[in-house]
Amino acid sequence: MSASAAQIDVRGERWRLRVRNARSFGRTFLGRTDGVVGLAILAVFVVLALFPDLFVGKLETATTASGQALEPPSAAHILGTDDLGRDMLNLTVHGARISMTIGFLATLITVLLGAVVGIVSGFIGGWLDTGLMRLTDFFLILPTFVLAILLAPIILDTIGADAEILGIKATLVVIVVVIGITSWASTARVIRSQTLSARERMFVDRARVIGSGSGHIMRRHILPNVTNLIVANTVLTFAAAIFTETTLAFIGLGDPFQPSWGELLNAAETSGAPGLGAWWYIVPPATCVVLVILAFTLVGNALDDVMNPKGADRR
Amino acid sequence: MGPRYLARKVIQTIVTIVFVLILNFLLFRMMPGGPEGILLRNPHITAETKAAARARWGLDKPLIPDQLVDYVEATAAGDLGFSYKFRGTPVIEVIGARFWPTIILIGLAELIAIVVGLALGAQAGWKRGGTLDRVGNGASLILYSMPYFVIGMPLIIIFAAELGWFPTSGMLTPGAHYDSFLDQLLDFLHHLVLPLATVSLGLIGGYSILMRSSIIDTRSEDYVTTARAKGLTDRTVLRAHAFPNALLPTVTVIAINLGYVVAGAITAEIVFSWPGLGTLTYDALQTRDYPLLQGIFLLISVAVIVANLGADLLYGRLDPRVRTA
Repeated sequence: MSASAAQIDVRGERWRLRVRNARSFGRTFLGRTDGVVGLAILAVFVVLALFPDLFVGKLETATTASGQALEPPSAAHILGTDDLGRDMLNLTVHGARISMTIGFLATLITVLLGAVVGIVSGFIGGWLDTGLMRLTDFFLILPTFVLAILLAPIILDTIGADAEILGIKATLVVIVVVIGITSWASTARVIRSQTLSARERMFVDRARVIGSGSGHIMRRHILPNVTNLIVANTVLTFAAAIFTETTLAFIGLGDPFQPSWGELLNAAETSGAPGLGAWWYIVPPATCVVLVILAFTLVGNALDDVMNPKGADRR
Repeated sequence: MGPRYLARKVIQTIVTIVFVLILNFLLFRMMPGGPEGILLRNPHITAETKAAARARWGLDKPLIPDQLVDYVEATAAGDLGFSYKFRGTPVIEVIGARFWPTIILIGLAELIAIVVGLALGAQAGWKRGGTLDRVGNGASLILYSMPYFVIGMPLIIIFAAELGWFPTSGMLTPGAHYDSFLDQLLDFLHHLVLPLATVSLGLIGGYSILMRSSIIDTRSEDYVTTARAKGLTDRTVLRAHAFPNALLPTVTVIAINLGYVVAGAITAEIVFSWPGLGTLTYDALQTRDYPLLQGIFLLISVAVIVANLGADLLYGRLDPRVRTA
């Protein structure tokens, strides 16, 4: 057998292994009712977020409102209208796009920051590790939600609320960045501890012996070994990001022209909807928030158990 | 718990608080127009007035170390600057006036949530897979997914707007005259019910989930098997052997949570217009009252950091295995 034939064989074997792993992973995950239910809920919301116009038409504004102020649910407006006469179904479906987008971007920043800090800190070690972990501990202990409340208006005042960054309104970008800055620490901790154990494995020594640099080892050998953790962590981070976004929007840091669910609830609160008994203004966005956070938590827990079977006995 | 463990924890706490002070100091300097631009919100101000103000406030001195030292000294003496919104009242006084409503609301809510949440979680985890576990754990997960205002707004609609059992907002009926202290207390309690229910429900989910997984871990411990082998009843094994041990990890979380009292209360207080630190934070945010916001951030941070120290020390007392660490 020639050397190249052996190499091709290795590559084929690696693929077969990957497919087999994915299959067995899929089977185990599908055996988890909670995970599947969560996934189904998320699928519905992703479709709504991707094509809101398809289901309810364009986002209604104060000028294109289709009803009277605070109409209770009727045949024309299944979920009633808000204080500007906008259709609640329309607003809630469009809210999915805004809430999910902010949640997604904030999660991306959080996990990226957390994974880089975690891997570099764990792999390089030494004073860099000490310094980075001090910083991580600081952010872990800090009441980050209050820091977000302080940071968001400062940044907004600095760049101006009407500014646009890459065509997106500054308010939304700032919320994304603030959530990212204030919530990466727990991800970094988790990834670091996994990196510490991956670093001691034989293949890392082997890579070093054949002359691989630190950057190469972190990318090719450490990263694949912490990917499981990153994925499970991402899903749980998503739940937290939506939670934080909703709360920040509720206390008035959202964008009224691109209303997320939290912003809708803020509008309901400031228009006095709870005291007026206008439940239809509150129930739709509130239900969506709870369903999405719950779904992410269910999927995250199931993934965590399937990928890290040690803790599986708990749930 | 040796003195070295204690000393290390205390030093860590002090270092963290110094970090918070530096962060707070830098944030105020980061703002557009600098501190003088914020303090003299007048576009027609002359350069001379500005320079005079800078000299008076020590802003002409170098940022580090002079200004930083001044800031830390003033803060340590309780000087947090002046609020904009409340016409130059010292921040510390503004915060002091709103302190107790929050402490009462959150203190009672924590108490209820700890008792109910831990009991629910322990029962659910002990009879794992049973009816109580399925219903209780499901409910806990749902409650855990709900921000406070999502719990509070429906409560107002049902119990205040529709049924009219409780007032929608405030802490006391405006303009009311009370014949006795008891009347006033009753009015206060009447206003307290819904916000208290909101915060308690919001906290129960987390505590219950934590206790459940903690008790599931202890079920397979040797001392539980031993207790069973001694012929103790199921109740006794849970009450006297599993529960106290399962409590350990939850103690830390509860202690840390106590530090988050104010942060957590913000949205619940907004919904019920409860006159505590939460509504104060909201008002400060609306009016961009930065000195007040920073004061609140500093207060909450120090509370959380100190609570963390308390948790570490308490844990060291409760679990002998940590003492040598």
